[in-house]
Order: sequence, then structure tokens, then C-alpha cells
Amino acid sequence: MKTITIDPITRLEGHGKISIFLDGKGDVENAYLQIPELRGFERFCQGRRAEDMPQITSRICGVCPVAHHFAATKALDAAFHVEPPVAAKKLRELMYMGYFIYDHILHFYYLGGPDFVVGPDAPASKRNVIGVIEKAGVEVGKEVIKHRAYGQKITAILGGKATHPVCGLPGGVSKGLNKDEVKEIEKMAKSCVEFAKFSLKLFDDIVLKNKKYVDLILSDPYQLKTYNMGLVDKNNKVNFYDGKIRVTDQKGNEYDKFDGKDYYKHISEHVEEWTYIKFTYLKAIGWKGFNDGKDSGIYRVGPLGRLNAAQGMATPLAGKEYKRFFETLGGKPVNSTLAFHWARLIELLYATERAMELVKDPEITSQKIRNPVGEPGEGVGVTEAARGTLIHHYKLTKDGLVEKANLVVATTNNAGAINMSVRDAAKGVIKKGKVDDTVLNMVEMAFRAYDPCFACATHTLPGGMPLEIKIYDSNRKLYKTLKQNI
Amino acid sequence: MRTIILGVGNQILGDDGVGIHVVNEVKKQINNPDVTVDDAITGGMNLLDLIIGYDKAIIVDAVKSEHGEHGAVRRIPLSDFNTLHSCNPHDVSLVQAIEMAKKMGEKRIPKEIIIIGVMMKNIPCEFNEKLSKEIQKAVPKAVKMTIKEIDNN
Repeated sequence: MKTITIDPITRLEGHGKISIFLDGKGDVENAYLQIPELRGFERFCQGRRAEDMPQITSRICGVCPVAHHFAATKALDAAFHVEPPVAAKKLRELMYMGYFIYDHILHFYYLGGPDFVVGPDAPASKRNVIGVIEKAGVEVGKEVIKHRAYGQKITAILGGKATHPVCGLPGGVSKGLNKDEVKEIEKMAKSCVEFAKFSLKLFDDIVLKNKKYVDLILSDPYQLKTYNMGLVDKNNKVNFYDGKIRVTDQKGNEYDKFDGKDYYKHISEHVEEWTYIKFTYLKAIGWKGFNDGKDSGIYRVGPLGRLNAAQGMATPLAGKEYKRFFETLGGKPVNSTLAFHWARLIELLYATERAMELVKDPEITSQKIRNPVGEPGEGVGVTEAARGTLIHHYKLTKDGLVEKANLVVATTNNAGAINMSVRDAAKGVIKKGKVDDTVLNMVEMAFRAYDPCFACATHTLPGGMPLEIKIYDSNRKLYKTLKQNI
Repeated sequence: MRTIILGVGNQILGDDGVGIHVVNEVKKQINNPDVTVDDAITGGMNLLDLIIGYDKAIIVDAVKSEHGEHGAVRRIPLSDFNTLHSCNPHDVSLVQAIEMAKKMGEKRIPKEIIIIGVMMKNIPCEFNEKLSKEIQKAVPKAVKMTIKEIDNN
């Protein structure tokens, strides 16, 4: 293959741009997804007060404020050498479940689900939540809105504004729960459990009972045999808030397991000249290009990565679904990118069940919610954002100011895999130079499954994910441009 | 008549946060119990949640211009946008969120939604608390237009 250099000036910021290069026969030789990456955050943090980090980092993006908030708070726990009281950890985790509930509902019904519920062949203008409601009915739509709001309400009761949590402090949380709040959360969580069950049934009826969709899930362009990564508890069950980072291999066996604080010994970042996004990989295996298989250090995170990297779910109903997931899709690990959607719903069920467990825990109303901090030092905090493993690492001065900050965000962990999925989807649909609009659908489905959060700032771009695909022939001449939402 | 003024954007992302700079100034200049002034770092669905129940919503935001316009301020009724907000793949646009809410029989959507848009040609991608000179210059005009919009029924 000829080396392709894309001038950094053409690095596109603001929306997704995909460049596809064809070979002499008109088949796909390679594809590059260029996505915007916000820069300068580490520098921005230098010299700031450590205790401001949970608020500042929650403003990095409007998508994962809660995940950043708690990754930051946990990094501060470590940096100030303080272990929060048990009740504080439970309050944080309960709030975290609220975040997973609204985030996963949003993705399934509004963003990813339309591909299946409305259908992968439907025009882009129909593959949206309105299309879902037209197919599933207005009553379902009302339930979607209600339960997404419940997730946000749970987060807001515990954390202040749902989009700007303010409760996390090194050593604990700033606010506990009273009995009335507990009652209110319990009522909402209970309803969310039923809604999660309903969502899985909907997935069953619409997707799994449709042979065409199952064939699509299992089709070659959507398979990727990477390593998988996620946080697990002491029983190797999926955990969103805390635990050790576990990595499994292409056979589903444990390849690595480590404390978050040692992340830099286990993962490393690769830089490509055509994008600002960094690509993480398993250090011991090394960067071997955009390839899957056991000799390449690329791994996946997020719902599918987590399910593959664990040995089950810690709650009963989600546990059953976990088993069924692997039985149905041919055992562990499941390598199909489109299985992310099903995995996400199983996690939704887990989040609702776990919220019920936590809110019923007598300790949740304890007022012992903060321990005094020690001397400032260095700390790492790891959580599972809805879209994958998130790492915050701070080094503090003796006055408690940030000297160094390093963040490894979920979409960075998935960046290598997303790029490969885009390439493979393009390969599957472009043959002998024949290009039509289905390329947009198939490629979009490939990266949408990951629920990536491409940092995206200024607002009034067209709604929906703007996407531009440029296809170049074997002489690197522009052959065709496909656009959506631009 | 109840009005909400929302500054939208990220104030640690340079010019992206211009909407918030504007509403902070508006807050100082008005004192009207029927007007709520707030900010939001969010789009689509969350934005809809914030404006529901008001008669009128004024959203102050950075708007990516199509033809390189930079620093101008425009009044744009929401109905003129076919799509708005959240280039983020993890959200829907406000227009889509409203369309969906209407389908669900939601009656509390503001009758009038006006965008006060500060036009900019580039999308800020670097963390910074300050506005650039050109965009800073647009703030007083945006403040004036926002306040005028409150009385413009």
C-alpha cells in the first residue's frame, strides 16, 4: 500500500470526516475517520486548585459530566490519601447509576436504536427517534421520555444539577440523602427496572427475531477480534464505579488485570499524523497498526468491551441476560460491533437493579459521608463512562495545586477499533468502485455502535451527526463525496 | 408571560462559551420576576427540559456561520433552523427533541423560541476561559439584542 499523508491542515474539526481510499480495482484499500479532538486540557488545568477539578472536568463535555466528575473525585481521593466512608461510596455509585440510566436510554432509543428499529436500509431522514416512535408507538415514546428523565432526576437529587454535579469531594460527598429522597429515588428506580426489562424485550422482538438483523450483526464487516477491557469487582463482575481493570484476549481468557493507578505501565498511546486523536494500545503487545488479533495491542471498551472483559453481571436479572447474550451470539468473546447495542441494554438493566440495591441499603441515609483529607500528592481515578474506561491522573503540588494532569478518555480507548470498524464497513459495501448512499448508513452504523463522544464544541451545526465521506480512487483523486446533515 | 433566557456553551472552551458571557451580563442589567436567566453546557434533550413550561425562550449561543462570517450577532427564530444544536453524536438536536415532545402530546413547549446567535467561522477546540478579541466585541451587541427580545412580543 502506498503511504498516505494527509496534511494536518486538513485535519477536520467539528464533525466527522471519513476518507476512503480505493485500490486499482475500485475496492477499499483503507479508510480514515477524522474526528475533532479538544486540545490543551492538561495545560488548562495546571496551577488550578485540586478540589476544583471535579467541577472543571465535568465541563469538558456535555455528554459525560458525571463520569468525569467521579473519575476526578476518585483521583483526588488517591492524591489526598483518603478513603471515603462506605456510605459516601454508595451515594456516589447510586448517582452513577442514574447517569447510566439516562445515558444508555438516550443512546438506544434516540441514537443507535433507530438503525435497527427503523431499519438499516431506511433513509437517514427516517432513522431517528421520530422513526422509532412511529414504529413502536406513542405510548413507548412517553415511557422513554419518562425514564430518561428519572435517570436525570436521580442524578440531580444526589449531585445538584444533572449536568453539573457538585457533590464529589476528596474523601467523600457534600450531601447525603434524607428519607423522602430515598423514597422518591426508590420509586423511580423500580419503574426503571421494569422499563429496562421492556427495552430488552423490544430488542428481542424487533432485532433478535428478525433473521436479517441477526445476520447483519454476525456479518463479517462488523466483526473485530480485539482485546477487551473494563472495570470488574472482586468477583470479576462488571462494575461501573470501581474495581480493577481487566483485559481479556481473543479467546475470552484473562490477559491482564491491574490497579487503575498502574495504567501507564499497561497501556500506551500511539500518534498518527492525520489526526489529533491518540490511539491507546496494550503496551506489552505494542502498536501493530490498525489490525485486530492477538498480536495487535488494540482493545475495545464500552458496553461490549465490559461484558467481554468480565465474567458476569452482579445483579440477578442482568446476570441472566448476560448468559443469554453469549449463548445467543456464539460464546465468549462476542466480537460483533453491532452487539454493543444489546450489551448496552443489559447494562441498563444492571444499572437499574443496582440502583434499587443501593437505595434500599440502610446505610444510604448515613450522615457519615466524608473523611478528612491527608497531604496532597499524586493520584489516579478510574471509572467506567457509559462509553468506556475513563482515567484521570493528577500530580499535585504541596499546596494542593495541579502540577500535572493526564486524562485518557473512553473514546480514545476505542479510537483504534472505531477506525477499523469504519474501514471494514466500507469494505463490505464498496465493491469495484460502486458507491451509493448505503455507504453512509453502513459506515455510520459501525461507529455509532460505540456511542463515541467526539468532542464537539460550537453548537449550531446541523443537528444529528454531520458526516462527510470522501472517496478517492487509486490515483488519490477525489472520486465521490457523500454527505449527511451538512 | 414567563420568559427564560439561556446562555448555551462551554465557558472553558474559548469562544464557544460566548452565550454564557452574554447572559452573565444580561443578569446584571435586568430585574424582572417573569424572566429567568440561566446557562447550560448542554444541547438537545437537556435543553428542551430547561425551556419547557415557559412562554418564550431566548437561547444565546455560538452559531457556526456558513460563509465565513465572524463576530456578527443575528436574531434567528428557531423555525428558521431545520436543525440545531449538538453536533455531538450522543444527542439529538433541539428541533428533533421538540418534534418528538410534540408527538408525545407535550403542551408546555414555549410558543416562541428565538436564538440570539453570535456567528463564528471556526469551532473552538482548545481549552481557554477567555473570549477572542473579535468575539468579545460582539458581546455588548448580543446583550442589547437579548434584552430587547424580552420585550419583543
